[in-house]
Amino acid sequence: MKKVESNLLNMALVMTVIAIVAGGLLAWVNNVTSGPIEQINKQVIENGIKSVILSGSDMKFRVEKPYEKDGFIFHSVYDMNDNLLGTAVESTDKNAFGGDLKVMVGFNPKGEILGYEVLEHSETPGLGALAGEWFRQESSEMKQQSAVTTILLGAPVKPGSHNIIGMNPGDGYLTVSNDGGQIDAITASTITSRAFLNAVNSAYKALSDHIGIETESDTGVEADSDNDTENGDGVGAADVGDDGFNAGAGSTGAESINNASSRN
Amino acid sequence: MLVPAVQVLNPLTMHHQETKSNSEYKMNYLKTIINGIFKENPTFVLLLGMCPTLATTTSAINGMGMGVATMFVLICSNAFISLLKDLIPDGIRIPCYIVVIASFVTVLQMVMQAYVPDLYNTLGIFIPLIVVNCIILGRAEAFAAKNNVLASICDGIGIGIGFTLALTLVGFIRELLGNGAVFGHRILPESMDMLVFVLAPGAFITLGLLIAIFNSFKNRKA
Repeated sequence: MKKVESNLLNMALVMTVIAIVAGGLLAWVNNVTSGPIEQINKQVIENGIKSVILSGSDMKFRVEKPYEKDGFIFHSVYDMNDNLLGTAVESTDKNAFGGDLKVMVGFNPKGEILGYEVLEHSETPGLGALAGEWFRQESSEMKQQSAVTTILLGAPVKPGSHNIIGMNPGDGYLTVSNDGGQIDAITASTITSRAFLNAVNSAYKALSDHIGIETESDTGVEADSDNDTENGDGVGAADVGDDGFNAGAGSTGAESINNASSRN
Repeated sequence: MLVPAVQVLNPLTMHHQETKSNSEYKMNYLKTIINGIFKENPTFVLLLGMCPTLATTTSAINGMGMGVATMFVLICSNAFISLLKDLIPDGIRIPCYIVVIASFVTVLQMVMQAYVPDLYNTLGIFIPLIVVNCIILGRAEAFAAKNNVLASICDGIGIGIGFTLALTLVGFIRELLGNGAVFGHRILPESMDMLVFVLAPGAFITLGLLIAIFNSFKNRKA
């Protein structure tokens, strides 16, 4: 077949036809896949709620229609007798190492953390991506490190605690030990850890602001404003320092360097 | 490098082929596939598509997923561009190729999101970048626009397999040295982990050494 000549009419015609056919194909595929995609997203949220509030048990529960405010999404979970079991809060921090870090945190009515799930992240595999497990594990023995790792990342740190389950951000916001807090950061991933704890803290703050948390002094009543003023500094503290390293996925090496220097 | 496989299938020499037997045809298609895996391996020889090679190979399975995704797009785009090559005027061939490639990438993205959400979550941001992967436009220009549909599909398969193998190998080495694991299963004690291999510098070191090894073998053979 002879090749179509490159004159204006031909070019415009061919380009238009190709664009229309491509558009039609995409519309059809979108039509076919949008159902399953929606289903999967719903499933992810449902599993998340089950995991962060009920610790994965098969108990029957009822979820109130999600309530959205200031970028936080609240799912209040009740048992079959209409007792509030807790609230799962979806919260996003934009300053993680690879961009956005979206977590779902479950709080009981007193504000204690029941569980969490990392819903979306773009952290480095083997480092920041460990956040999904790290903050619910008791710390292990002091880690054995190879000589090369020690040279690159500094001497191993003393074992501390990095399990946040059962903690109440109302008793003082959670911060990493590098910033003087009580939670050990993920090895060589301080920025991810900061972002994660920041997302948890802001989830707590949003919950107490918009839904309310029972405090010990006035059980059963909406949270009083003291809750915020007492601990208001905590969230800020988690942000301090090292802004230069938050540049994003492009500077993958920076995170470990940052951690090495903060240990010395 | 490109010469042997392409010349035989070149439209200008097509009349020679008509006298050839069926088995010789099959030989040429097989040669086109093998050519993409070894002689013109996109990663180790052509050095195309370095960005996804360095970025997605933090583990063997990620590298493999990216390779297979790219192969799918490559085969589809090669086939269609070869099919449409006489209908597309030269003056607008690049925009047309890009529309074809981008459509297949978007299809792939939606299908992956719907049916393999786990892989989609790990590869997420790299999938749209397949559109600008220079391997795909490179093969469209260098091969699909000059050869018939079947040969172009073979070229897509060959280059795709070559790319997938290369990415899996780089990912395998980085995962083994960085996390002490093979396809997610830990086999080395944690004390032997060298985190640098999971990070960007490790990608460059691994890729550089592999290119050196691959080419030293290739040169010795030639």
